Amino acid sequence: MLCSISDLLVEVPAKGGLSSLCREYLADDSRVPDIIIRPEEYRYPTKITVPEETVAYMESGVQFYRGLLQYGGMMLHASAVAYGGKGFLFSGPCGVGKSTHTNLWKTVFGEDAVVFNDDKPALRRLDDKWFAYGTPWSGKNHINQNIKVPLAGICFLKQGEANQIRRLPSLEALQRILPQTLRKRLSPEEGSLLLCHIDRLILEVPVFELENRPEEAAVLLSYESMRRAAEDLGV
Amino acid sequence: MKIKDGYVLRKVAENWVVLPVGKASVNLNGMLSLNESGVLLWQALKEESDRESLVNALLSAYEVSHDEAAADVDSFIASLVQYGCVDA
Repeated sequence: MLCSISDLLVEVPAKGGLSSLCREYLADDSRVPDIIIRPEEYRYPTKITVPEETVAYMESGVQFYRGLLQYGGMMLHASAVAYGGKGFLFSGPCGVGKSTHTNLWKTVFGEDAVVFNDDKPALRRLDDKWFAYGTPWSGKNHINQNIKVPLAGICFLKQGEANQIRRLPSLEALQRILPQTLRKRLSPEEGSLLLCHIDRLILEVPVFELENRPEEAAVLLSYESMRRAAEDLGV
Repeated sequence: MKIKDGYVLRKVAENWVVLPVGKASVNLNGMLSLNESGVLLWQALKEESDRESLVNALLSAYEVSHDEAAADVDSFIASLVQYGCVDA
């Protein structure tokens, strides 16, 4: 089945539960797909048995996000929230409180705040600007919407006793981004493309670290800091 | 010795970094930062090189003594071995 994901035409196999995941992304287009996901190239774990649907979900994601590198884009492991027409990404290792933080945005801003991908949003640079997109690969709760918003900023979360935020210098931003994107399955050529995209990303999009408690005050701090930095950069 | 396959050297945000991909990322989860002489040695090691040729590469690029260059090469090689970027 043909889908439109992050402004790319993607041929996705319907089997393995992907047809229901991609329902919102179906496209009617006669052009040649930009990315073709091939089930015959799925890698199956050798030591443990994993349900077919899990393999299809994981492996189709790997193929999509590898393909995305060829089109000025990359994946970031993050919970992504749209508010005021812009995208705010909260990243960090599993269990750090990404979904908790974006859920608190919904508490603070109500229905105007939309979590459009809770696990692996796509980032793309188009016409010198960065955009964040919802994709069907959005984690176990399948929280996603097929939307595109200008990327206001990226914030790495850290649990703490108080709420404080700081802008990350570029080398530190790079060190934080690398573990939260796809690397293990890349070829050296794809790795080089990834670094090329990150180089631009950290120059053009503000990156922060938020030490926070799971409370509404942390949302006001992250929102205000990210909004101001984005405005200063004209994002 | 020679750098194994699966490493990408690139300048990002004014820093030279080495990114392991594929199997290489199992040994090194993250990245290496290199200074200018590190980049020189890394590039030399893309081809099979021995200790003496690396020392000579540093000597022709920088005004350092043979002993200083040799010490730099030894510590660089030790790091590469530690991170599994070359065969010991």
